[in-house]
Amino acid sequence: MERMAGKGYRSLADQLRAWSDQQLSRLLLARPDLATPAPQDSGQLASRSATRASITRALDQLSRVELCVLDALVVAGQTTPAELVPMVHAQPSSVERALARLLETALAWESTGGLRALTGVAELLVGGPTAGASGLKPRSAEPLTVPEVESRLAEISPEARVLLEHVLDHGGEATTDSSRHTVSPADARTPAEELLSRRLLVPRGGGTVVLPGEVGLVLRGGRTTLEPVDELPEVPTSARDQSLVDKVAAGAAFEVVRRVELLLDHWGTVPPSVLRSGGLAVRDLKAAATLLQVDERTTALVVEVAHAAGLLAVGTGPDGDPAWLPTDELDRWVTRDAAERWEVLARAWLDSPRLPALVGQKDPAGKTWNALVPELTGVHQVETRRLTLDVVGSLPAGGVLATGTGVPGVVARVAWLRPRRPRTRSDQVLWALEEASVLGVTGLGGLASFARPLLAGEDAAPLLDPLLPAPVDHVLVQADLTAVAPGPLESTLARRLQVLADVESRGGATVYRFTPGSVRRALDLGWTAVEVHDFLGSVSRTPVPQPLTYLVDDTARTFGSVRVGHAEAFLRADDESALTEILHHPQARTLGLRRLAPTVLVSDTPIDVLLPRLRELGAAPVVEAPDGTVRVAGPDQLRARVPRERRPAGARVARETAGVAAVVTAVRAGDAAAASRPADAPSLTPSGSLAALREAVERGSSVVIGYVDNHGSRSDRVVDPLSVEGGRLTARDHRADDTRVFAVHRITSVRAVG
Amino acid sequence: MTDGPLIVQSDKTLLLEIDHDRAAECRKAIAPFAELERSPEHVHTYRLTPLGLWNARAAGHDAEQVVDTLLEFSRYAVPHSLLVDVAETMARYGRLRLEKHPTHGLTLVSNDRPVLEEVLRAKKVAGMLGNRIDDDTVAVHPSERGNLKQALLKLGWPAEDFAGYVDGEAHPIDLVQDEWQLRDYQRDAAESFWHGGSGVVVLPCGAGKTLVGAAAMAHARATTLILVTNTVSARQWKDELVRRTSLTEDEIGEYSGAVKEIRPVTIATYQVLTMKRKGVYPHLELLDARDWGLIIYDEVHLLPAPIFRMTADLQARRRIGLTATLVREDGREGDVFSLIGPKRYDAPWKDIESQGWIAPADCVEVRVTLPEGERLVYATAEPEERYRLASCTHRKIDVVKSLMARHAGQPTLVIGQYIEQLDELAEALGAPVIKGETSVKERQRLFEAFRSGEERTLVVSKVANFSIDLPDAEVAIQVSGSFGSRQEEAQRLGRLLRPGTASDDGQAKVARFYTVVSRDTVDADFAQNRQRFLAEQGYAYRIVDAEDVSTL
Repeated sequence: MERMAGKGYRSLADQLRAWSDQQLSRLLLARPDLATPAPQDSGQLASRSATRASITRALDQLSRVELCVLDALVVAGQTTPAELVPMVHAQPSSVERALARLLETALAWESTGGLRALTGVAELLVGGPTAGASGLKPRSAEPLTVPEVESRLAEISPEARVLLEHVLDHGGEATTDSSRHTVSPADARTPAEELLSRRLLVPRGGGTVVLPGEVGLVLRGGRTTLEPVDELPEVPTSARDQSLVDKVAAGAAFEVVRRVELLLDHWGTVPPSVLRSGGLAVRDLKAAATLLQVDERTTALVVEVAHAAGLLAVGTGPDGDPAWLPTDELDRWVTRDAAERWEVLARAWLDSPRLPALVGQKDPAGKTWNALVPELTGVHQVETRRLTLDVVGSLPAGGVLATGTGVPGVVARVAWLRPRRPRTRSDQVLWALEEASVLGVTGLGGLASFARPLLAGEDAAPLLDPLLPAPVDHVLVQADLTAVAPGPLESTLARRLQVLADVESRGGATVYRFTPGSVRRALDLGWTAVEVHDFLGSVSRTPVPQPLTYLVDDTARTFGSVRVGHAEAFLRADDESALTEILHHPQARTLGLRRLAPTVLVSDTPIDVLLPRLRELGAAPVVEAPDGTVRVAGPDQLRARVPRERRPAGARVARETAGVAAVVTAVRAGDAAAASRPADAPSLTPSGSLAALREAVERGSSVVIGYVDNHGSRSDRVVDPLSVEGGRLTARDHRADDTRVFAVHRITSVRAVG
Repeated sequence: MTDGPLIVQSDKTLLLEIDHDRAAECRKAIAPFAELERSPEHVHTYRLTPLGLWNARAAGHDAEQVVDTLLEFSRYAVPHSLLVDVAETMARYGRLRLEKHPTHGLTLVSNDRPVLEEVLRAKKVAGMLGNRIDDDTVAVHPSERGNLKQALLKLGWPAEDFAGYVDGEAHPIDLVQDEWQLRDYQRDAAESFWHGGSGVVVLPCGAGKTLVGAAAMAHARATTLILVTNTVSARQWKDELVRRTSLTEDEIGEYSGAVKEIRPVTIATYQVLTMKRKGVYPHLELLDARDWGLIIYDEVHLLPAPIFRMTADLQARRRIGLTATLVREDGREGDVFSLIGPKRYDAPWKDIESQGWIAPADCVEVRVTLPEGERLVYATAEPEERYRLASCTHRKIDVVKSLMARHAGQPTLVIGQYIEQLDELAEALGAPVIKGETSVKERQRLFEAFRSGEERTLVVSKVANFSIDLPDAEVAIQVSGSFGSRQEEAQRLGRLLRPGTASDDGQAKVARFYTVVSRDTVDADFAQNRQRFLAEQGYAYRIVDAEDVSTL
């Protein structure tokens, strides 16, 4: 960086123009909002960087010491680094580092008169001392010197001194009622007048007085704050073996992979429906929690992570309604190693702005948050999560967050790193820590060693893999009709076993229970008893106990003893030969008749077709009602339904006419607006005029604007722009000699004076 | 990842692989805090429950030991939430203590004030507590000692009882070990009870729980009240005590429906105590009739609810519960914990079997097919009739006969639920039947005859489920039971497990336990439920069809 090379720049735009590509790209990386959409030129870039929204975003990214330095810069007005550094109560090196960052992010720039903060910064630096705002006002245009201030302070009465310090501690601004604003020190009757007379308080119109920055600085011993601002809060730790941390984290990692698979497998067959709000119903979440044997909070996290990883999406359920379904990505995902699967989930979580921890709580409107609703996101979530993990990751080796005090320590540290974050930040830190431990990114309050590459964007799976239980290919079958897989079963094996037995307990191992129902389920899917025996024999490392063999045979014995089929109609006759006659009639072939019993035939033909055909064949059938009585009916009279959508023709015509009229009105109004625009005004693009105005704000120069007032008449005015915000230009109007607010959209042209 | 024998599941079950080298070591280490739930042949299942963890605390184990044990033996990573849960649960025990204050009497003391405040505000304990003595101490009405403990357990803050016990009226009792010796586990059980103050001893049927009771009495050397399930059981306790201790018959009283004696050692039945007349329990005064130094509860798992209420008033007396299983069909294990005391001793059935103290058992389920006609009747019967119909099929009589033929000469019990079925069986087998209406005298005569070998077969109803001592029963055939009661199944098997004398060919006694059920009916379903308990105790069933009985 060319620090103060030469005499500085006329404007921020000039400075940016002079910057190297590298510097520019660093700026755009630090403040990505400046880059979209791509600015036309440096002027527009400078203009955009001075907008309130963009400054707020940039300020939010600053640490406490950086904010304090910026605050000092605002207090100082135009200054040099040499003057600025001692004003901040911190190590000079950290002040210089902070200043470099401020310049890099274009929150401060080097004007011809010295270092300056962007104009908009002053009013956005709020939030009290913790957010870096010292509460000092900027120095006055012609500041008193330090000895002057000191000598005047020595003159005043103790009451005045107390008053002055009170004003200093409460924002540096006060109102006076009866005090005269212009009075000499000798005439001063009240403490306020004493201060006003000595310019220790300065009137600012409207009965307001301010305490000038230079006075505040002296009162605070030459620095903007009394407390040092670069002391990083300590995070209390306790000693824990890294291998133990890894072990616990790997346990959690394995669990979360297992749970996602279990849940999505289940939802693949019984998908929960999508709420109209786009979320997951509370009932479905509860059911999922029961399935996963965890609380609803953890379930919400599992669901959200699966969604973030692209394993869960809205699809069409079996009944045609929108439903939460596993995606085809799941099929790829399940074939991978557990460690790789975990990495997919963890990475998705890391970059997800979702707030699963809010699920089940009430939103400000008193409505309960559902999982998966689109609104359940937080803009700061990703960053807070990263910061939190960075803090945990920066703990000394062998140290983990101390029980009880560790978490508040992290909250304090994150608060120091990003003081301007919203009030919900401490919650977000807590959530991040909680979620990290559930996902196995941390364990026992320490960052798992296999999660470090994850944070660095590298492959984490190879480090995790050896920590996960190795897949097993056998089970232990026992006489109480359970089978225990003493580790995660190989995927295909697990799927087959799940058909044959119900899962009773999950975890590192899985306990399966064989029941008549579960064996029947396998038979339903086409297994034969022999296949079941062979399968059990091959997966069981111990002899298959006799009761299980018996159970399989017994279930197979009763399997299929009742047959169910489909038929449209039945024919019943006590006279077997009558049915035989119909069945063998040459023309009856197309009726799809089958004999179930000597006295019963069934037919695939619907009864209304069957009946006339049978009559044609010479039989004399009657229709039987469900209760066995004979039903006799004549042919039905057919009727159509009255169409529902029929309205009187007059109403439709009236509606159409009204619509056309509205469009015509709009077009006429647009024409009128175009006609009232003077032809000679230099056409400026909206962004061009904004850029020109902002540049004027920064430079503090005057411009001539063409303005259309409330009555539609156009005039040229000479103004000193003060700020451009929210579609309004605040400027000192030379003609009115007062501060006026102009609507930016009414400004037709912006020209430099002269 | 270590190669431990234990797998800790996230649902708080622990799976112990028995064939592992370190399995025995691990079992010893986890037994104090984990409840053995199932012990089939390869993998035993333990469960971590709050009660189990508090039992461990009561026995002097702390959370760190538990966590270390889990981590040491676990094959895979232990879910962190589970460890936290263990620590938190165990930390809840003993925050509140019942203590004896020199001036204020019984007090509830806490060193964790928020807990005390929380408890004081709970509706459940309102009225049990007296004045606040200081910030950490509250007076307790002495009569509410038991109720308070019960309520605190329900609130999740079980109190540790340091208030001590009354000594009771001294009475010399000694074990007379002339021709027999107390077995090691019986001695251990009695001692760990005595050191713990009060509590429950869990031993399998036939493992000699009566002797544990006698040993406890010898420790207490004070007047003792023994509560048993029924009169027959009361007589057996009496006989056993006369035989094994220095007590004479005159020192032992029976307090039952027939006799009401109060002596230094009094044996009362649950039934007489819980008998209610005009809304009051007329025999309740028995509990205060003497200054009892020890109260023995036989078959704690059957303790009826009114006895729990009475026990709540007996917290100053030492209490020992004896049972084969803490499983209660009504799920009141928590009341047993808070009112009688934590589990003080537990030994798996199979362990005692391997030491030779109980006989190994061979369990077989025989399935009969209902004849066509009965099937039709069954299919159309009302649901409440179905079980009886299925249980009482005549096909079972043939099976029982052929089973009896296989074990001709061996002492055999035929056990059933339905009297008419039993009568029918008795007639078919030519054997006497014992049922509810059989007089006590007649019962004792028949038992004596069975013991002496005069009768080789007895047909018994459920009156014989409990505490009848039939040392020579080797074969049991159950033809029906009270629905799916696991309890009953365990008791019935227990009837066979007393170690017998070796047979002529030198083979040790093997108990034979047959269950005859009707295929494809609710009978089979209930049988499956009952057997699960035994299968989980490691007694595997074989299932055979009635037609194949001859090939057994």
